[in-house]
Amino acid sequence: MEKKVKPKKVKPTKVLDYLKHEDPFSKGVAFCPGCSLELLLRFIPQVLGNDIVITGTPSCSAPVLLGQNNQSWHSLSYFGTLMTGAAANATGLARYYKKAGIDNTVVCFNGDGTAADIGFGNLSGAAERNEPFIYICYDNEGYMNTGIQKSGTTPYGAATTTTPPGLVSKGKNLRRMNLGLKMAMHKIPYAATATMSNLEDLAKKLLKAKEAKERGFAFLHVFAPCPTGWGSATENTIEICRRAVNTNYFPLWEAENGRVRMTKTVKKPKPIAHYTELMKKFAHLTPEDLEILQDDLDYEVCMLGGLSVLEAECQLPLSADE
Amino acid sequence: MNIKTEKRSQMKVITGNAAAAIGAKLARPDVVAAYPITPQTEVIEQISTFHASGEMDCELITVEGENSAMNAVMAASLAGGRVFTASSSWGLVFMYDAVLATAGARAPVVMVNVNRETPGIIAVSSGQQDMISTRDSGWIFLVAESCQEVLDMVIQAYRLAEDYDIQIPVMVHYDGFYLSYLSEGVDVPFQEDVDKFLSVLKDQPGRTTLKPGQKLGVGSHGILGGYLELRHKHVMAFERSKDKFDAIDKEYNDIFGRSYGGQVEEYRMEDADVVLVGSGSMCGTIKSVIDEQREKGIKAGLLKIRMYRPFPSEALVASLADKKAIGVVDRSLAFGFKGGPIYTELKAFETQLKGSKLISFIDGIANSDITTDNVVKMIQTTLDLASGKDVPEVTWVCYPEANKPQSNEVGGQ
Amino acid sequence: MSEVRFHGRGGQGVVTTSKILANAFARTGQFGASFPMFGFERRGAPVTAFGRFSHKPVREKTQIYNPDILVVLDPSQKNSSIVFKGLLPGGMMLLNDSDTNAGISHENLEKLAIIDANKIALEEIGLPIPNTVVVGAFAKMSGLLEIEPVIEALQDYFSGKKLAANEICAKRGFEEVKIFDL
Repeated sequence: MEKKVKPKKVKPTKVLDYLKHEDPFSKGVAFCPGCSLELLLRFIPQVLGNDIVITGTPSCSAPVLLGQNNQSWHSLSYFGTLMTGAAANATGLARYYKKAGIDNTVVCFNGDGTAADIGFGNLSGAAERNEPFIYICYDNEGYMNTGIQKSGTTPYGAATTTTPPGLVSKGKNLRRMNLGLKMAMHKIPYAATATMSNLEDLAKKLLKAKEAKERGFAFLHVFAPCPTGWGSATENTIEICRRAVNTNYFPLWEAENGRVRMTKTVKKPKPIAHYTELMKKFAHLTPEDLEILQDDLDYEVCMLGGLSVLEAECQLPLSADE
Repeated sequence: MNIKTEKRSQMKVITGNAAAAIGAKLARPDVVAAYPITPQTEVIEQISTFHASGEMDCELITVEGENSAMNAVMAASLAGGRVFTASSSWGLVFMYDAVLATAGARAPVVMVNVNRETPGIIAVSSGQQDMISTRDSGWIFLVAESCQEVLDMVIQAYRLAEDYDIQIPVMVHYDGFYLSYLSEGVDVPFQEDVDKFLSVLKDQPGRTTLKPGQKLGVGSHGILGGYLELRHKHVMAFERSKDKFDAIDKEYNDIFGRSYGGQVEEYRMEDADVVLVGSGSMCGTIKSVIDEQREKGIKAGLLKIRMYRPFPSEALVASLADKKAIGVVDRSLAFGFKGGPIYTELKAFETQLKGSKLISFIDGIANSDITTDNVVKMIQTTLDLASGKDVPEVTWVCYPEANKPQSNEVGGQ
Repeated sequence: MSEVRFHGRGGQGVVTTSKILANAFARTGQFGASFPMFGFERRGAPVTAFGRFSHKPVREKTQIYNPDILVVLDPSQKNSSIVFKGLLPGGMMLLNDSDTNAGISHENLEKLAIIDANKIALEEIGLPIPNTVVVGAFAKMSGLLEIEPVIEALQDYFSGKKLAANEICAKRGFEEVKIFDL
């Protein structure tokens, strides 16, 4: 059994101040119980406005984000894309609106399977061309809708249906890629990480992304726990987000015009077991196995730290048209 | 200096690829996606040059692969834009999932595909296998014979794709190497005449497009009834596109003085005993051979397929019924069938041909040349069939080894 | 109809030679069509191009197996059997070569024209690209074209100083080509 956590008292934040627009989704939607996507999807248009055009792929988001026949769970403009070409679809929309002089905020909303795996080529291409839209990857670390298979962001040791633990396997025997940093290396106007335990941080980053897309490509990497796929208690979703931040499993940072900056500094990060204990996908790991995962996180944090130390010296030169 | 003719046009000596680029420019697309591949590359180079010089006011997206090219223009089209892209061979295959989605979304995309072999063997050579491999995508496929026809067909393709009653993407095919790189005189229409020809679309009801803030979605999941309804509507629009293309050909003639016959072009068919059915650049060579054969008293004709999807079965049956024998020339293969793909498809209508006999020729694949000698041989074999001689159902004109009896033996590779 | 086969190497402007001639014929109210045949494109590789020039529209879209005229831009191929393959009786050949005693003979070759196009091109444009000299020489040798439409055609391929230099190249090709009846 997964552990249950007593809700702690948390300080009130100003997050409600950021919710200036209506929630365009109907009251009940068809996500799994405890899914972090519902909060994220309701949050985005309340911060950015209901006049966004949102694109989505066949994925966990699809049952709610994409309509079925002529019915929909929300009142947003949306565009159902293929996983292979999501960023290229968003490119086509944004470029046509630009040509036609139509104000627009295109939000290309995809899981890690699309962003990190099958659709990474066109994500990278759109970033290289500095296309004027916001790309949000909700990272639930695998193909959760398809039945919990491994992706490029699935962490070391995690059990999935294509990386089951066995006599000769620890689960996923490979380390995860760092999608956020990979995107920051495209020298785009804005790249950031966020999650649902830090909503004010998320809201600020959404607004920065909207402002940045006037200059080009904006990328948000959002950590999005999946109770169904990870084997966690439905009420623990936000706590998992919180522990991911506090263990440095998923550090919160942003890169504005190339300047990398931590938006939340974790002074004394807790050991990774504090995070992994909340879900079944790591339950088979020994303390030694967890060391490998810890080493991987330490490496990523070290790299991030190095980049953020350089912040004062490093800034992207402004592009020619500014 | 360009030679001005009496018609409102300019004569230019240009390649098939340049003709495609100029045709696209004249249609004034909003968004163009560009990715290079031999033998198409010159198309996007030309467009990039037009764009750089300010002659072409479009958003030019230099994508990182063909898959993105098709995805970008599909979305721009569904947002309301006029779009263009170009590809060939493996590039067309690499964008194929998006090619299917574009048709399913009924996005009126126009593209050219410069035909090249796509056989699983790495090669840079001519052939129509890319067209055949993608023929069931739900796109309208048109095939051009000459540089002039490439230019005219690209402009006509916009009228067809964007017509309110059609709204289906159109792919204009033309042969790589033999036509893409061929330089010949082309009458380039004046911009205002093309504007006039395309302005008919503005008078039609507006198609549904995706604009920010609208309560509207595209790419919904189709479920049962909804899916079936959309598929059936697509099939019906596909059928309507046949007559529409004929009508567009006539209107084009009224403005530009060039008619090609619509779905099919008949060449010396009226009194023909034997007919070759072909498509693309081979038809020019076949026409000149037919003229020579006619001087020798041989009554041969050509039926040129200009619209390959939807399959112009009614037009083909009307032209080909009551002939003595028909040879179908395929520049591609139909795996699982001995005969070529167009031959195999025409075979489905054999009972309506009132006794016309059918025979299959494979020629021009793997960069082999459909020579005048080959055409003479095909006419002769078709004449043999007409006179009741025993001739094989399928002849690989470009590879005589395949026609030896031992080539059909079982075993080995 | 005259069927012309061009032999050269990538970088010599073989394709442009055939294009300029098709263009020049079109300017006289005649018809021209030309196309190259090569696989993977690179400098230095042998390139063959084909040109058909006629008073009637050219419809054939096949390679040329029985040329009336050969144009050889690459002198190293001048004795190649591939170059002469299929040459029809009464054939002509235009050769870019510094050696006017090239010792070329073929049973069907009636007229041989030789021009040192590389030398002229080096003098006029500073590069050994023989194509525009060759188109001028072709007009003179074949008798099918005056020099004027050839000069006009150059405007579609060059501009500014390059155009002026290439115009001189074509004129010099027309004037300086040496023609031998065999």
